[in-house]
Amino acid sequence: MMTSLNSRGETSNFDILIVGGGLVGCASAWHLARLGLKVLVAERGHLNSGASGQNAGSLHFQIERRFLEQGEKAAADGARIVTLNRLAIEEWRGIEHMLGRPLDVAMHGGLMVAETEEQMALLAFKVARENELGLSTQVLDSAQLRERAPSLSPHLAGAAWLADEGHANPRILVDAFAEGAVEQGAQIRTGTALTGLSMARDGTYRAVLSGPDGELRVNTPRVLLASGHWTARLAGLLGLNVPLYAAPLMMSVTDRTEPVLPYLVQHVGARLSMKQTEDGNLLIGGGWPSRLVRRADGTPDLDRPATVEMKNLRANLAVAARVLPGLAQRSLLRTWTGTTCISADQLPIVGEIPAAPGLFVAAGGSLFTLGPVLARLLARTIAEGSPPEELSMFLPRRFAHLDAFAVLP
Amino acid sequence: MKRIEQGVTRPAQIAVEIDGARVMVHPGETVAVAVLASASQRFRDDRSGAARGMFCNMGTCSECTVWAAVGTSPWRRLRGCLVPVEPSLRISTRDPESRP
Repeated sequence: MMTSLNSRGETSNFDILIVGGGLVGCASAWHLARLGLKVLVAERGHLNSGASGQNAGSLHFQIERRFLEQGEKAAADGARIVTLNRLAIEEWRGIEHMLGRPLDVAMHGGLMVAETEEQMALLAFKVARENELGLSTQVLDSAQLRERAPSLSPHLAGAAWLADEGHANPRILVDAFAEGAVEQGAQIRTGTALTGLSMARDGTYRAVLSGPDGELRVNTPRVLLASGHWTARLAGLLGLNVPLYAAPLMMSVTDRTEPVLPYLVQHVGARLSMKQTEDGNLLIGGGWPSRLVRRADGTPDLDRPATVEMKNLRANLAVAARVLPGLAQRSLLRTWTGTTCISADQLPIVGEIPAAPGLFVAAGGSLFTLGPVLARLLARTIAEGSPPEELSMFLPRRFAHLDAFAVLP
Repeated sequence: MKRIEQGVTRPAQIAVEIDGARVMVHPGETVAVAVLASASQRFRDDRSGAARGMFCNMGTCSECTVWAAVGTSPWRRLRGCLVPVEPSLRISTRDPESRP
């Protein structure tokens, strides 16, 4: 699928340079190529090698625990994301048809379980807020939960149920978008890093890419940084501040077993995501941190894989086994790490940077669930010249004060 | 697939059991080698039901994960490429607990 540019030492012109061959980058490339733009995707490693391929593959549309655990203000902010989640549900319902291939999308429902009455009260608060916003979650008591999911522990107090939740396969989604993008005329270069980025006097961008064929110079009116936690560093090439912070996490997978869990399972009071893949493996995560490797000078090295934190792995598996007792009979096959990011206000940062017209970013966590719909909205922003209303709360302009002292071009 | 025979000296073979069949292996070889020495060379089935082999042979991919027991000990899940064979070793490439 790679297209050779044969442009050693030459300058090429594109309508947009997308930095990052993950879900957001490849999905955006697909949309933009279909809209007729001349698209170049530059990926430093190989496609899907970052968080896009390492995440849990959850399709979660209930308000996340990470918002609920930060108090009522954060919960209210978190609730705002529900409007986007509703669009994401529609996106995922149509994605296999849209891309013309199976992507292991299973939307058989999701449960956010509670173990105590206090947690049940938090679920009730959450569900009321979600229903106000048009998301049809409902509270199940202990008996209703038993009936819905007999494999889960009888000791659970109940759960919040959402029929639209589920999971998909992060191993194959990006490939589908990338192949589609190339079919539509996009160029994708892997093993190719962005090593220089500047704005010319006319407001267009000059990018230097370093790849297997040497250096490539690109002139383009638009750049999209779809680079996960590296987005912050790459924006730094222009002296800009995008408040994204690395969040190194881990995921585990057990051996295969007969179907026991058709739903996505999360926990309102503990970090947990659990699901069973099409092949029968149980996938376990939920936001437990792994450990970033340090450089000799003590600063975190974001270019090397984080390492598994055994204490957190044990705690993660303990929560999972408490919720799904049968898990104790399974064997852990593998635990891996991946680094996502969080933004300063926990919401994704998606859209044009006010201080640098033509420069777009899209990152900020939960971007497996939200990636496809955000890529669509971002493509609309670029094609129409202004962002659709649905994107308004995620625009970078809410952090414009951080670029008050930027010097561009 | 076959062993290099020329110019190599190995200890005398021992018998292990794989899915009920007797397979001859040399001490020092791994469980994964034993499966490769068996007639089917199959570690598991993929989602279409076709036999799958191993992949990395260095403990990373888990494709060689099988059930193993010594004599009458309980079955354990382990990565075949990391564990040496031993006398009275029994290997199962299917869940022994769910057997009829």
